[in-house]
Amino acid sequence: MDKSRTSYPVSRTLYFVHRIIPGLLFLLLPLITLPIQRFPKPEFESAYTQPQTFIPTPRAEFLAYLDVFVLLISLGVVTWLVLKKRSRLWVFFMSLFSLAYFGFYREGCVCSIGSIQNVSLALFDHSFILPLSVLAFFLLPLIFTLFFGRTFCASVCPFGAIQDLVAFKPQPLGSRLNTVLGIIPYLYLGLAVLFAATGTDFIICRYDPFVGIFRFNASFGMFLFTGILLLSGVFIARPYCRFLCPYGVLLNWTSRFSLRHLSITPAECIQCRLCESSCPYDAIDYPVTDKSPESRPVMVRKMMILTLLVPFLVLIFGYAGSRMQDTLAGVDARVKLAKEVMALSRIQDAGYGMQDESFEIKAYKASGKTESQVYSEASAVLKKFYFGGWLFGGFTGLVIALLIAGRMLPVYRKDYVTNKGRCFSCARCTDYCPIKS
Amino acid sequence: MKQKIFIIAGLVLLVIVIVIMVRDLFSSKKEDQKNPYDYKLNELKKTAGKQIAYNEALSFRTGLEEIHAIACGAGDRIFVGGSKGVEIFEKDGKPAGKFGFEGFASSLAMDKKGDFFIGMQDHVEVYSPEGKLLKKWNGISPESFLTSIAVSDSFVFVADYGKRAVYRYDHEGRLINRIGEKDPEKKVPGFIVPSPYFDLAIRYNHELWVANTGRHSMEQFSYDGTMNSAWGEASMAIDGFCGCCNPSHFAFLHDGSFVTSEKGIERVKIYSPKGEFKCIVAPPSAFTEGTRGLDLAVDSRDRIIVLDPERKQVRIFVKK
Amino acid sequence: MPGRREFLNTLMRGGILAALGLLSGAVIFRSRDEKSCSYGFDCSGCSRSKSCMLPAALEARQMVWQLDMTKCIQCGRCATNCVMSPSAVKCTHAFAMCGYCDLCGGYFKPGTKTLTTAAENQLCPTNALKRKFIEDPFFEYTIDEELCIGCGKCVKGCGAFGNGSLQLQVRHDRCKNCNECSIARSCPAQAFTRVPANKPSLLRGLGPELPKETAKKNQANG
Ligand code: SF4
Ligand code: SF4
Ligand code: SF4
Ligand code: SF4
Repeated sequence: MDKSRTSYPVSRTLYFVHRIIPGLLFLLLPLITLPIQRFPKPEFESAYTQPQTFIPTPRAEFLAYLDVFVLLISLGVVTWLVLKKRSRLWVFFMSLFSLAYFGFYREGCVCSIGSIQNVSLALFDHSFILPLSVLAFFLLPLIFTLFFGRTFCASVCPFGAIQDLVAFKPQPLGSRLNTVLGIIPYLYLGLAVLFAATGTDFIICRYDPFVGIFRFNASFGMFLFTGILLLSGVFIARPYCRFLCPYGVLLNWTSRFSLRHLSITPAECIQCRLCESSCPYDAIDYPVTDKSPESRPVMVRKMMILTLLVPFLVLIFGYAGSRMQDTLAGVDARVKLAKEVMALSRIQDAGYGMQDESFEIKAYKASGKTESQVYSEASAVLKKFYFGGWLFGGFTGLVIALLIAGRMLPVYRKDYVTNKGRCFSCARCTDYCPIKS
Repeated sequence: MKQKIFIIAGLVLLVIVIVIMVRDLFSSKKEDQKNPYDYKLNELKKTAGKQIAYNEALSFRTGLEEIHAIACGAGDRIFVGGSKGVEIFEKDGKPAGKFGFEGFASSLAMDKKGDFFIGMQDHVEVYSPEGKLLKKWNGISPESFLTSIAVSDSFVFVADYGKRAVYRYDHEGRLINRIGEKDPEKKVPGFIVPSPYFDLAIRYNHELWVANTGRHSMEQFSYDGTMNSAWGEASMAIDGFCGCCNPSHFAFLHDGSFVTSEKGIERVKIYSPKGEFKCIVAPPSAFTEGTRGLDLAVDSRDRIIVLDPERKQVRIFVKK
Repeated sequence: MPGRREFLNTLMRGGILAALGLLSGAVIFRSRDEKSCSYGFDCSGCSRSKSCMLPAALEARQMVWQLDMTKCIQCGRCATNCVMSPSAVKCTHAFAMCGYCDLCGGYFKPGTKTLTTAAENQLCPTNALKRKFIEDPFFEYTIDEELCIGCGKCVKGCGAFGNGSLQLQVRHDRCKNCNECSIARSCPAQAFTRVPANKPSLLRGLGPELPKETAKKNQANG
């Protein structure tokens, strides 16, 4: 215990006496601004020595870089297990390790999913300091995915690992349901970036369902939330990964262009259909061969509809997003405070006496901020949310348009293959394939 | 069939999760406003109305940037000392002049002739009634901070918060002796002054009283430094002195009663000449929270004049 | 056909890599206020103020949460809203500021008549504050960290009646350093900030760890 504490040497105390205390006095006693020389320490006559105030040090900084190192190694090992060894069992063991290290030892923070917000905020707020380790957590899985598919999801991410443990009765959802529910992560990502970039909130962390488990410590409400999600995960495998995870959106899109990717069979598919229902996440695309190629005019018409649909949806949703400015900005504490202050001054103008003040109002009064300061802060935030609303809405429109496009355009597929975007590279299906080399 | 049920169950649960998130994020409900660990400062400040024996009769603002000391002189004129000057008011609050100087008047008193004795941080300056500098006494020490000054017919008493000592001077500024330093032989416990409020005053023109704030006691000294008597009790209750160090200021009514002011729980009270609690002059509700340094003066009609540095006002209280 | 597909894939891969690179560059070498460095220090005397940008970006520190007592109003949420229970926020005593008062506003319940350590006299709901006689009339107050729940009651009492030496602080041996501190989110005074991990304290009265605004104010007031 004692080793982890830092004591403050004498020089600091001197500094304190000469520079800080006069200022402190100013804060404590706003009216005595005379240059008082010293804060009166009691003049002890007994041999009493004043204890020093101990300040526990945070986790050593190099450990953060150790985490990055472990992340790098894990990604490498898992990638090797998935692509070369093609062994589900080993991938599973690896996920237990990740659960232990990134989950129970590291207790969640900072994770790659949450790092989206740190990066967004750092991009827009120059005073926000982004530690390099956080940036690494954001980048490394994306880079690995770009070359080898979502091996991060396979068994590095502790969220995926914990959900994999409860997926007892995974059910196929069908492609339509998968597509529709698949929109949610895009919305979540959009909102998370919006709220992070405006400095409002880190909603991914706020609704992080598993961190309470990793820490064995959470409020009852939070445990309930986790419980419901895990229960749903009994029937819908990895519900968070598939239908919530905002980082999954980024991984999905990088994985689509990956250089290499796990394939179900190591050689030629023999259409034995053994792997057909092996994937708990509906990530196996079945062969599509019977569709007769569409005629040219039909194709042209479809393309025309799409070229019109995309900008149309983007604009419509963008506009809708900008109209949601107030709702979105209502999450921000600065805007909330401004609303309260406004309500307060209205009540006072109407001549009503003292109300029960909220803590927010009390803090505002104690801070010495003026009403107009509060309002101008809030209106700056509102303005950000106006543009942010346009961007968020436009992004949503684009996503929906692209999904429609994806369903409208014809596909041709000869074999059973993994869907590169959705596949978590968990290597389950490889066990089902009768061809082993 | 079973598969369908499973899917629906899974979906319903998932939807519940999402609804919880969205509702929580966008709901306009306020954070819990109950503090299970509230320290009800306001409860402390409640006072029984019938104990309040004074009304505020008059208040007026001063023009000084910061105000620190108040005194009452001939013709019940009111003198306010603060940064860079002294302001003079008639007894009804009309401005009656002012004079300026460099520095900050931390304490203020007048002699019979109306000359001002002004404690300037670490030394005393004497000004004529017109505001002309008559004499600048020697500085005491760089740490000194003169929080109070009182003038009797033959002596000037100065309370030094920085040195935690009281000095007796003659009117020319010659130091005669120091009073109140810890001295077990004379049974003087020594002054404990944790914050820069350290007041003294003279009763019946010969009794020197000093507020030993850290001990929450009023102490009476002979001019040679012997402590004769003391009273006072530390308590948040209305009849004691609250906080770490109080009373911050005091003055005397003509019958010898004590008028005291406190910080922490801002209040002005009256104690009998023997030190028994009598009544309240101004309850905490009369002051802005956090007000410190309510200097006091009493005029010839026993009106109690309170200096409110937070509101930059002189406030006059009269008996109901 | 496969050839074209491959080519497109490669193109996209290159594009994504470039995008990630640009993004990282932007967040690492983001512009910053010339006069004050990102650690919240006063850089006026710093010899490398001109060339600070690059090294500062590369030595970017871990950041930890801390609360600024100049803003805190002791609302009690520090005790109730931490993801940990009991909270990672606890009371810390800056002894150097303490008046060692007999009647400690942080120790005694209001209205206490006799100044003894009897349990019913104590303000602290968990009796975490300990009182020890030093010499007439001084008493030392220490905090039993195991017991303290960070409710801020004593802090309020000390601030109202004393010197404000009892202060709430995030204790980094307990704090999980959540990516977003859940107290920070609900703090009505927005008193929580991220501070560099090598300067984890915002305790008033201990020296250079003062928050920026306070340091400025101090300078302004000599
Ligand atoms: S590796 Fe196979 S089983 Fe696992 S997610 Fe991908 S397609 Fe599904
Ligand atoms: S939540 Fe904020 S205002 Fe409330 S006790 Fe904690 S720091 Fe102080
Ligand atoms: S009163 Fe609250 S903050 Fe103070 S020591 Fe007790 S538990 Fe800690
Ligand atoms: S960062 Fe997390 S553990 Fe630390 S004080 Fe905030 S909520 Fe508590």
